[in-house]
Amino acid sequence: MHSQLLGAAAAYFEGPTRSLAHLNAVDIAVIAIYFGIVIFIGFYLKGSATTSEEFFMAGREMTAWIAGLSFVSANLGSLELMGWAGSAYEYGILATHWYWIGAIPAMLFLGIIMMPFYYISKTHSVPGYLHLRYGDGARALSAVSFAFMTVLMSGINMYSMALVMKVVLGWNLNFSIWVSSITVALYVGLGGLRSAIYNEVLQFLLIWLGAMLVPILGLIEAGGWTNLKHQIGERLGSEYVHLWSTTGHFSDNPMGIHWTGLVFGLALVISCGYWTTDFLVVQRVLSAHNLRSAKMAPLIGAAFKMAVPFIVILPGLLALAVLPYHLVPQNVAVATGQHSYNEVLPLMLVRYCGPGLLGLGVTALIAGFMSGMAGNVSAFSTVWTYDIYGAFLHKNAADKHYVAMGRWCTFIGVLISVGTAYLVQHAASIMDYVQGLFSFFIAPLFGTVILGMMWKRATKAAGFWGLLAGTCTAIGLFLWVHLDPKALRYVALSPDAKGLAEDMYRALWSWLVCVIVTIVVSLATKPKPVSELEGLVYGVVPLPVEHDDHWYQKPIVWAGVIAGLFVILNIIFW
Amino acid sequence: MREEISIWFFGGVLFLIYGTIVFVEGLWELSHPLANPPALSNLHAPIWWGGMMGIAGLVYTVKFWPKRHRG
Repeated sequence: MHSQLLGAAAAYFEGPTRSLAHLNAVDIAVIAIYFGIVIFIGFYLKGSATTSEEFFMAGREMTAWIAGLSFVSANLGSLELMGWAGSAYEYGILATHWYWIGAIPAMLFLGIIMMPFYYISKTHSVPGYLHLRYGDGARALSAVSFAFMTVLMSGINMYSMALVMKVVLGWNLNFSIWVSSITVALYVGLGGLRSAIYNEVLQFLLIWLGAMLVPILGLIEAGGWTNLKHQIGERLGSEYVHLWSTTGHFSDNPMGIHWTGLVFGLALVISCGYWTTDFLVVQRVLSAHNLRSAKMAPLIGAAFKMAVPFIVILPGLLALAVLPYHLVPQNVAVATGQHSYNEVLPLMLVRYCGPGLLGLGVTALIAGFMSGMAGNVSAFSTVWTYDIYGAFLHKNAADKHYVAMGRWCTFIGVLISVGTAYLVQHAASIMDYVQGLFSFFIAPLFGTVILGMMWKRATKAAGFWGLLAGTCTAIGLFLWVHLDPKALRYVALSPDAKGLAEDMYRALWSWLVCVIVTIVVSLATKPKPVSELEGLVYGVVPLPVEHDDHWYQKPIVWAGVIAGLFVILNIIFW
Repeated sequence: MREEISIWFFGGVLFLIYGTIVFVEGLWELSHPLANPPALSNLHAPIWWGGMMGIAGLVYTVKFWPKRHRG
């Protein structure tokens, strides 16, 4: 019986027989040291997470640099790293839009315009802000949808990471899933948000350390950027190396996208929705120790985010020029045994990195996965404890009770994520649906939050009904195209549009519906007294004046510098 | 309780350990070439990359070395 159990356990964690690369003892040591430090930090910070403010908000003691790096690191999950490198291989430099116009303006907007309201209101979460501004209806809707979305995304990240480790390194899927998720549960459950943030900063450094050598060596092999452009142009066409010049028509570029979708759908709605209302990232900034740091954190994050294409997009482009074989979509890869787009980053690591460096590169990918997952579970436990459990199920409990609930939630969140990962393993198409979740919930939420912050007249009922109408619109449009693919011409404005273009326009329409319903319902209902809006809405009370010693310490100056760089980069790669 | 160890100290230690491992591995490969070397192995990336990491790690480890309790 005992040996049967051991045999079953061995089979469960047995690796595939074939893999692309093998790690040697040095690589294993590099990975083991990383796990050791990560867990040590969790135990070390356990004593600093005894009150709810400490466990869920890291005591609001983080500096601008720590909050800023953690803000951008929580977003650098495995799906983000490997998925967008794969997208760069598939669509060319157009994938950079998700790092530049799809992130930078929104991050600057968060830092300069929105952060003061989040910070001054002393809210613990984004649903918490909705509670202060609109009451319980909008809070419940947003908290439940966020909790649901977060654990699902976490599971998908986990599965995509484990799949690549299986194909490239021959690691067993169950082994990857369980070892990494137990580690995350341990360090977040012990040290709370502070531990998650500390590890995210380390993970951010590691991601750069492990991944930066690939573009450096790749550019040397390809003969520099100009030669790389020529090679890609000759093989596939010049539309793969231009950011904007091919977006005048849906059929002129490999992504099947139009510039209006990029500017209005991606930059105005999806990106603003994600970077300003997704609590996964906003939570990191709320942990800052003063308003100035809270404003600077997204700006620091934006500066680093602008550089991420160097380690994510460039390897995908380099692979188009230097890899001696072609990569294929995931479904083809499963059927034919070829390598899929998603494996491009590990494949490039294997190409350039020998023992030691390969271990470092794999550690970077694991770090990416862990930072994304820790972000998801810490945000999940906060929203569950404050905005669902503490708000509706068990009000006015002792502070210790909520901390215990937060710790348990971390473990439960990880378990649900593991369950999702296995669900995706057996029904891969779920992955496509969950990708659409962002525009289901995030786009309308941005409409509700931004009207709440900027417009005194927005009312309690309007917040709830606007959010509900926007969410229903997004789900309705998704189902319409899913059941009748011809509907794409109406939703995305062209029969030539492809999946990513559909996401952008669906987000835009759902946001517009949310905004229109919120305005109409507000005008038809009784407004909140102005006295109840202090610190929540623009123009009700003056924001605290900042006293910077020098002009170069002002957040607005740095926002200007980053905006200038952003414009220059877009012109260079036009 | 407030933590005494700065996050930058952890980062420094990690860089120092990794830099040392990669640098030593690079030196080892000079005398024991790999059977299946990666592309551009003639550039000896582990030596200069590991060396730079190690130096950066050392600087941060020393600069953010945990301060002792007083009293």
